[in-house]
Amino acid sequence: MNRRDFCKFGLGGTGLVMGTGLNSGVKQPPSNRIGRISRHPWWVKNIDEPKLPIDDKVYSRFNSSRSVFGSFDKYYGMENLRELRQRSQEKTRQYYKEDRPGYRLEDRALADAAWVISRQGGLNRGTRSWTRQFVTTPERRGVEKYNRNPMEASQLIKSAARYFGAATAGIAILDRRHIHSYERGKPIVFEAVDEPYENEKKLVIPDKCKYAIGLSVQMSLDNLQCSPTAISSAGSSMGYSRCEFLVAGLAEFIRGLGYMAIPSVNDLGSSVAIAVDAGLGELGRTNRLITPEFGPAVRLCKVLTDLPLALDKPIDFGLLEFCKICKRCADACPSQCLSFDDEPSFQVKGEWNNSGHKAWFEDAPKCFAYWQESTSGCSICIPVCPWSKKDKTMIHEMVKAASAKIPALDRFFFAMDEAFGYGKQKSAQKWWFLDLPEYGIDTTQGKG
Amino acid sequence: MIDQKAFIELKIRKRPWFIWILRAVWLIWVLFWLEATVGSWKEMETRAFVISLIIFLVSLIAGILLWLWGYLRFKKANT
Repeated sequence: MNRRDFCKFGLGGTGLVMGTGLNSGVKQPPSNRIGRISRHPWWVKNIDEPKLPIDDKVYSRFNSSRSVFGSFDKYYGMENLRELRQRSQEKTRQYYKEDRPGYRLEDRALADAAWVISRQGGLNRGTRSWTRQFVTTPERRGVEKYNRNPMEASQLIKSAARYFGAATAGIAILDRRHIHSYERGKPIVFEAVDEPYENEKKLVIPDKCKYAIGLSVQMSLDNLQCSPTAISSAGSSMGYSRCEFLVAGLAEFIRGLGYMAIPSVNDLGSSVAIAVDAGLGELGRTNRLITPEFGPAVRLCKVLTDLPLALDKPIDFGLLEFCKICKRCADACPSQCLSFDDEPSFQVKGEWNNSGHKAWFEDAPKCFAYWQESTSGCSICIPVCPWSKKDKTMIHEMVKAASAKIPALDRFFFAMDEAFGYGKQKSAQKWWFLDLPEYGIDTTQGKG
Repeated sequence: MIDQKAFIELKIRKRPWFIWILRAVWLIWVLFWLEATVGSWKEMETRAFVISLIIFLVSLIAGILLWLWGYLRFKKANT
């Protein structure tokens, strides 16, 4: 081949590749994402329906008392639970005696202290109140309520969400099936009322509440990589506390525009299902959300509102195909509660799972039991995931893009990830000497 | 009749045209691994850092040696 031929071939090839890319861009459903806020990387595709289907005949609202937190004693057995708690206490004392890094007094104090803001809220309580706290409403200001078009409103909401600490934000039509049927023993019902309220008998969401804002908050990977220790628990609890601030601030902001808002973290409904609908990520092997930017190292929360908003679409970045071959989370899980199945299925593992949607269902009581066993919770499945990466080197972005576009390379990338030693546990002792950024997170990550 | 001995034969040896492409590819490869090395250090990923550093150094040294070898060969052929 001479130089002229090479140039022809090269330019032709480049043109072909670019043409294909542009063409495929046209074929994709148009993204409703506005400006730079919450826009995913170029290799993330918008799709019309989430990749893992819902069986409309089966999928229904979940009674939160069936969750592993609500019925652990029933699933695990009272006698077993007593023994487990005793073992946990003995281990805690033993770890203190051994002065084991990650389980020392200072580590546990940090994990507890990081909960402090999260503990200010609960379903319709404190920071998660369903009604106005102190923001001045347009009515009191003597002006009309906010009434620009939904696109502008979405931009506003996403900017405010980012300002209050969201890593990503997306908007979906509220699928009522994602809302729990019962919370704290009371039914959650939808009624034609103007404001949400609660009485002795029920929790009431207004019919006009049609939009769900899915929000993610980054967790510190430096903390999570010390899992399972109290340092990694501090990463989770800090995530929850930041969720609390985020939903409280965003709900008040919406009320300040003249609309109703219901802030929620893990209560009220499935944040994961809403986040999938709102295009924040895909459901992974852990049966939790995995985002293209931060992997599973995020906490989720949501705000429900009647403010008309432009909608986002679910996304596809090749995660389903990757999870099928990877299985590292299932391998690393000390309680062996995650599925090793090649394919996701509709078959649930127990009452704690909400049936009617395809997923890799987890054996939640095993997971929760290990939290007690380890004495400080566990989040090993998060840092070991090959999608959990800091973005200090462009190789990660390149691999993620290639994995999204060419699933045939997934096996190679997985092998390389292992060879390069990613996902190994880090020292909890050294964590105290890291020069960490604010909240332990890099707020520039995923912003291009 | 032309006297053949009155002419000097000149042989011009040009570097192959693709040598610049090879050099550019090598440079990009080396810079890529340098970036990966620095990034892995910042990420505190020890094993990734060591592997990236080895790939970077081997690529750098191999490239330099290959370039030197080519240069000497080229010089020798032209003298």
